[in-house]
Amino acid sequence: MEQLIEQLKSQIIEALNFEDLTPADIETDAPLFGEGLGLDSIDALELIMLMDREYGIKLADPKQGKQIFRSVRTMAEYIQEHRTK
Amino acid sequence: MLVELYRRFAGDYPKFFKMDTLCRLGFIAAEILLKGQTSQCEKEQMSIILANRSASIKNDTDYLATISEGNYYPSPSLFVYTLPNIVTGEIAIRHHIQGETSFYILESPEQLEPIIKSYFSSPLKGGPRGALTGWCECSKPNDFYAKMQIIYGTTD
Amino acid sequence: MIYCAGHSIISPLGEGTQANIEAVQAGRSGLKKYTDRFADVEPFCASLFDTPQDFVPLCIRSIELALNEQIIKCENAQTIFILSTTKGDQLDLWSPAQQIAAHFHNPNPPIVVSNACTSGVCAQITAMRLLESGLYRHAVVVGCDLQSRFIVSGFQAFKALSPEPCTPFDPNRKGLNLGEAAATIIYTTEPTDSWRLVAGSIHNDANHISAPSRTGEGAFLCLKDVLNGVQPSEITRIGVHGTGTLYNDDMERIALQRAGLADVPMSVLKPHFGHTMGAAGVLETILCAEMASNSQCTMHNSQIIKMLSGFGGVNAAIRIEK
Repeated sequence: MEQLIEQLKSQIIEALNFEDLTPADIETDAPLFGEGLGLDSIDALELIMLMDREYGIKLADPKQGKQIFRSVRTMAEYIQEHRTK
Repeated sequence: MLVELYRRFAGDYPKFFKMDTLCRLGFIAAEILLKGQTSQCEKEQMSIILANRSASIKNDTDYLATISEGNYYPSPSLFVYTLPNIVTGEIAIRHHIQGETSFYILESPEQLEPIIKSYFSSPLKGGPRGALTGWCECSKPNDFYAKMQIIYGTTD
Repeated sequence: MIYCAGHSIISPLGEGTQANIEAVQAGRSGLKKYTDRFADVEPFCASLFDTPQDFVPLCIRSIELALNEQIIKCENAQTIFILSTTKGDQLDLWSPAQQIAAHFHNPNPPIVVSNACTSGVCAQITAMRLLESGLYRHAVVVGCDLQSRFIVSGFQAFKALSPEPCTPFDPNRKGLNLGEAAATIIYTTEPTDSWRLVAGSIHNDANHISAPSRTGEGAFLCLKDVLNGVQPSEITRIGVHGTGTLYNDDMERIALQRAGLADVPMSVLKPHFGHTMGAAGVLETILCAEMASNSQCTMHNSQIIKMLSGFGGVNAAIRIEK
């Protein structure tokens, strides 16, 4: 799990072009949207694509993302359970 | 080079790193022109009217790479930049400009002059009006050119 | 003020303005479900030509249908060609405009307006300014976009497409459908017996590059501008953008309410044509102007507003008088 979390942080930084951030700057339990990393609606769509590309998870309903993308930990937990690759 | 200029002239806008090259270019040119300037007109009367020859072709090519056959993962954050006018929107957001934003595809920068002239002579609104206007071109990676100016005018 | 001197629409519903009016009046829709038109994309619903079209010949055909050679001389330097498109001919926007202008022997470099989904209205505003300032006497405004794997994949990645025919302003709306069309309006400075373009305005939300403003800021400012000189109660019809996405329709409702236009009859054309992108502003202006005047027996002027919004936070509106 810890390994997945670290890997996910790097993937988020790359996919969302956080040029000034390192994985250590992202808190595992901090909110990704709103005050945390301050992600927006396009970032949410990009995270949906990241889950598909890296882990073979297809989210049909973008509203599902709200729960899954609460924090890096909730995202990692969802991936652990649903990944197909 | 654009990142270097960003750190020198702005540095406080992480969204910069999400932009494609055309937007980064326009953003920096606007930053240099508008930073520390007091606008001579209301934010609803300030416009951004830009042009180039090759639209958003550099970013179009980057987006195409995400939908190649056998590796099909269309990127929403690249797709949104496959419109050249997004650069005018990025500048508007940064500087809270709510006037007109327009993007033209033209043969050469000279062709923009009559368009700007007619913008200032159109009789719709009175009072002072401004426009950040110019050429903003990026056809290939590391091949870009921007030349912008601010023009103020009054109608009526 | 500039005057309409001809118009045409070519869409999957028909060739020529009249054929398209009849199709709309008969309640026909060009929307169909596609499963294998483009490789890799998920099944989608759109209004596409049965036979795939080439961009430049389609635009030329549309212009030829709209032209009245007795009024407008294309080879004259006082005529300007303006192309409204978002993706042009396979991502090339400048060359097709040049080929179109060259086909009609026009000596001026053409102008391409690429202002996302507002392009068709912005192109008409550009024409109005150039004609009113005396630089040209006639403008040929042609709007066109054809669908592709590029565009459909992007809108799918944005989760903006409805798998069913779109239902704008419905509480259960699921998103938009894409469409293909070419449409042309010829404008001139000399009075004609057709409708006239009297006002136009473009404003940015300055809020987000893809999400519409929650307060309808830019759209409201556009409506306020085009209402200059008339009362909201004088407006006989509003052609809304009405894409069928959750946020667009809500934003338009707020802007219309703020502008005092909530009670004016609305035209929503996307369920017939889909979202025809660069063609939308031209096609929908023609239909709103032509159909409003046909369906309403008014003693005085019809006053029609056409509004659009697009990526980049841009909004545009024009007012047409008949």
